[in-house]
Amino acid sequence: MVKSMRQSTLETIGLGKVIDVFRNGKLPVNTKELVEKVFGPEDNRGAMVISGSNGIVGAGKVMQFASRLLPFNIPIIALDLPGSSDGISRQYAGLIRAFGKNGANGIMKNVIRISYDGKSIPEAVHRYNPKLLLEAIPEILDLKKNHYRLFKETFPGIHIWSVTSGFPSSQLGVSIAHPAFPHEINKLFEIVEDQPSVYTQLLWSLGLIPVTVKDNWSFVLDVFFCGLMLASLRYHNKSNMPFWKIDKYIRQIVGPNPFRAHDAIGAKGANFLTWSCLHHLNKRYGELFKPTTDLVERKDSGQNWYPPDHFRPIVNWRLNEEEKKELQAIIFGALFQMTSIMLKEKRSDLPSMNAIGELCAQFTKGLLAVIRNTGGKDVIKTIKTFQKLYPESLNTKWYPGEFKNMKAPEWQQLYVNAEHDGSAGIITISRESYNSDVDAELNKAIDWLKKSKIDRVILSGDFHLSTQMVGADTSEFFPAITNKEDGVKIATSWSMTARRLYNEFEISVGFVNGKRCMGGMLELMMHCHYLIATEETIFAMPEVTLPVVPGMEGCHWALRKVKSSDRKHLIKMLLEGNQVPAKDSKGWLVDYAGTLDSSLKIAWKIMQNGYSVLPLRKVNEKPIGKIEINPVENFSTSDESISATRRAISDCIKESTNVKLSEAIFVQANHSAEFMISKLCRKGRVGSEYDKIMQ
Amino acid sequence: MAKTQLIFPEARIPYGTWGCSYFPAWQTSPLAEVNIGQFAGESMAKILSLRNTPINQLDYLIIGSTVPWHWKFWNATVVASCMGKRVPGFQMEQACATGLQAVILAAAQVQSGSSNTVGVLTFDRTSDSPVGVFPERRSYRRTEVISDVWDNFGFDPATGNAMITTAGVVARKYGITKGEVDELAAFRYDQYFTGKQSGFLEKVAVPLEILNVQGKSIGMIDEDTGVKKFSLSALRSMRELDTCVTSGTQTHAADGMATLLVSSKSAAKQISRKPEINISFVAKAEVRVSLSCMPEAPAMAVKKILSKTGISMKDFVVVKDHNPFAVNDAVFSKVLGYDWKKMNNNGCPLVFGHPQGPTLTRVIIEGLEEAVDLGGGYVLVFGCAAGDVGIASIFLVN
Repeated sequence: MVKSMRQSTLETIGLGKVIDVFRNGKLPVNTKELVEKVFGPEDNRGAMVISGSNGIVGAGKVMQFASRLLPFNIPIIALDLPGSSDGISRQYAGLIRAFGKNGANGIMKNVIRISYDGKSIPEAVHRYNPKLLLEAIPEILDLKKNHYRLFKETFPGIHIWSVTSGFPSSQLGVSIAHPAFPHEINKLFEIVEDQPSVYTQLLWSLGLIPVTVKDNWSFVLDVFFCGLMLASLRYHNKSNMPFWKIDKYIRQIVGPNPFRAHDAIGAKGANFLTWSCLHHLNKRYGELFKPTTDLVERKDSGQNWYPPDHFRPIVNWRLNEEEKKELQAIIFGALFQMTSIMLKEKRSDLPSMNAIGELCAQFTKGLLAVIRNTGGKDVIKTIKTFQKLYPESLNTKWYPGEFKNMKAPEWQQLYVNAEHDGSAGIITISRESYNSDVDAELNKAIDWLKKSKIDRVILSGDFHLSTQMVGADTSEFFPAITNKEDGVKIATSWSMTARRLYNEFEISVGFVNGKRCMGGMLELMMHCHYLIATEETIFAMPEVTLPVVPGMEGCHWALRKVKSSDRKHLIKMLLEGNQVPAKDSKGWLVDYAGTLDSSLKIAWKIMQNGYSVLPLRKVNEKPIGKIEINPVENFSTSDESISATRRAISDCIKESTNVKLSEAIFVQANHSAEFMISKLCRKGRVGSEYDKIMQ
Repeated sequence: MAKTQLIFPEARIPYGTWGCSYFPAWQTSPLAEVNIGQFAGESMAKILSLRNTPINQLDYLIIGSTVPWHWKFWNATVVASCMGKRVPGFQMEQACATGLQAVILAAAQVQSGSSNTVGVLTFDRTSDSPVGVFPERRSYRRTEVISDVWDNFGFDPATGNAMITTAGVVARKYGITKGEVDELAAFRYDQYFTGKQSGFLEKVAVPLEILNVQGKSIGMIDEDTGVKKFSLSALRSMRELDTCVTSGTQTHAADGMATLLVSSKSAAKQISRKPEINISFVAKAEVRVSLSCMPEAPAMAVKKILSKTGISMKDFVVVKDHNPFAVNDAVFSKVLGYDWKKMNNNGCPLVFGHPQGPTLTRVIIEGLEEAVDLGGGYVLVFGCAAGDVGIASIFLVN
């Protein structure tokens, strides 16, 4: 019997537990089979129609689906009114950037653009036998309903998804797949349907991220993002602070720039959508969501929130600590109160709701993680402070009780889950970058498995919310930019977590199946006894380009496992920041690289049969001798900052490998922290981000 | 004291909803590099924020400025947009009387019932003033070029004389001596620095950080830069440029802004930082004196306002003026028989500088703050303006 800390998000879309993926040695569904179920057999394939295809949503989704469905010969019928401006061609440049000119042209060949009058479906569409309609037409209920009627009458059995920004499925009469900006890139869809369908599972199988939500007015993303915008506007009304400066503070404390985002998306459309969402929420829930006069005015005018270039701001605004607290009360108070409603309505499972904030609303930390870290009492206190500042919010019912049971695993394990079958455990990380929350939750997951006496474990992504492992959150290092002790603390504590995978399990397997695994995440995974990856996965240690010195033992751990003749590969990776496919790193970085199915099978075999499956490359716990590196000679560059970083990383490699394993953790942490406070780091990406966001 | 009658019975100045930038001397600060209209709008939003006054309270904006600025054609509307609130309004100007006249116009706007809360925002940048090219058919070149600040200081087209000449003319007319003017000026410097040291200035002026186009700080406007404390001996040693006028006994060009609100009685109660304080408009007077006698005009305006209201000089708790020349105060003292040491506590434009538009607005703000500190009473604010004009106004703080 399988036990888990909490339900896996994969189960919410009907795809079972993660441990079953390993046990079965394959993914729960097969894309080819799902394609056949949705679009018919290969010799009689149907098509996908995207209506409103020239709009900002429609055009983005045309690109996303055309590229993914091309291998299955499923054409995308891009349907729009004759006079609509050409949104699809505007996507072409991005398509070239992603796929190259030939690839982009191939994808565009798969897009059939057809004009229609909105009243009848052109004969040409019939020829393609549409099976799936993604509707992205204007947010007018009657218009949408007539549109569905037309398609249902013309193509009985067609599945219809609306991308609506607010209407519930019960009003529309069709399922919903609500996407997030930027639509050509963002993989997440909020899905409203009675039961997980093959259509939803097809999205997952195509590498997209469907997340099930309940059928309520507006979506989780919209409540978060429009709610943040509204809270920001309320702060403006109270303080007079200009929008651009509010954006700077919001970026510091929450993550996104709501005003800039509206301008970037296109103020005319975005202002309307935000207003529309809040307008409906206001009608449904009360004044907590009431759009401000400024928003109404800009909804009508379509005016940008930022001043035009010739009025770039002259007068700066700075908040003292007291004023910052007031801003935080207004922003978080509103968001917390709104979230209490969504929690009461059980709009989604908690990890997914949390992830929507991060993946779609650009929150640095998911709001549920913020709520959990704040603690129930303080969350309620913040809401009450906000309600004093904005008494109208009391007209909206809210639910303090939702914050009272945050010790439950659903709250405590937002990013990291664990499952076991009594002998083997799986730890899954559902966040693409490592941060302090992941670190804390990973420790709890390890504790949970240890308590259940599980000695063999696989550490992997969650096969759902996280589609790759990109490193560590740079914002986590901001305190370390000005304080070496903070840098040492982060590097040491994270390294100690990683070491638990090596020290506390008989066998641990790091399993990587996404597009890439880099930086801090790679350092974490390499601490496992075995590292297994799908062959096309890209590995890299890009720290040298940022520049920073790796902090989670990347400069010595893997070097202690390889033959001296193979050290050069690891050193090159560290000093060049180059990308290496898993299949080319066998023996010196990964222990096995193969197809997804074979990799899954090997990982599970190790769980069952232990060291006999693959030879174990042991970590040399003694000093491994002085490693000779000449960073300047071997890796020439005209960029002095890269040369200087290479020297720093080289020093770290030399010193951390020349001590015992028990001491190396501190040597590496010290080097990393020392570099973090350097001028060189300050000038680089982490330092610049710190200056841009925090200063 | 005569029974007080108000010229705008419905209008009030809500206490504490005011402030100004410091007035850095021309070319000495980042203000020399900005669009002053934009700066003023943004600064007003920030000052009102510090005063806990949302700009949403405003329904009208009167701006006062004398030096042309970029996009002046769009006058109050563009400044309001920079402030962050789209309200109607207009721009007015009357040389150095602008800062007082704008406040009076705002009161009239409220009194008329057209507006409930009017923002008064005065500003000017004398640094790098624009140069205008005018077709001038009576000129032999048929085209004249005017550098807006300095050419106007130097030439009154009605008389052909410079501003500085008027000070000399009036000093001679009233038999003022350089010794008395030097002594007066030294006293004014003391008053300013005493006020600064006491913290009074911080109640009025707000430090502002200026950004360049990249959004990086290019400095703080947190001081009336260019103000030096001249001792009496230093003043005595200065060369006379005209009778009784030296570089120490005349003001200097500066940049800056000042703002206050004028509202209905009920709105004032809501937005005032101390609703129990009532600030009303008692009277206003203007005069025009003989050719090139500008420094005499303020005294004549005060004489006129006193005779209109029946209020006497001893009734005032605060007397403050715009005094580009120390001669102004010496003449005022002689005409009104009023001790010049009793006026201009905490500073005056002779010392803190002369950015034209906002100068008298700052004088009003300082005068009202001082009156509140003193427990209320009549406040007399007056000054001179180009064209030999004098303007005076009386406020009542209770």
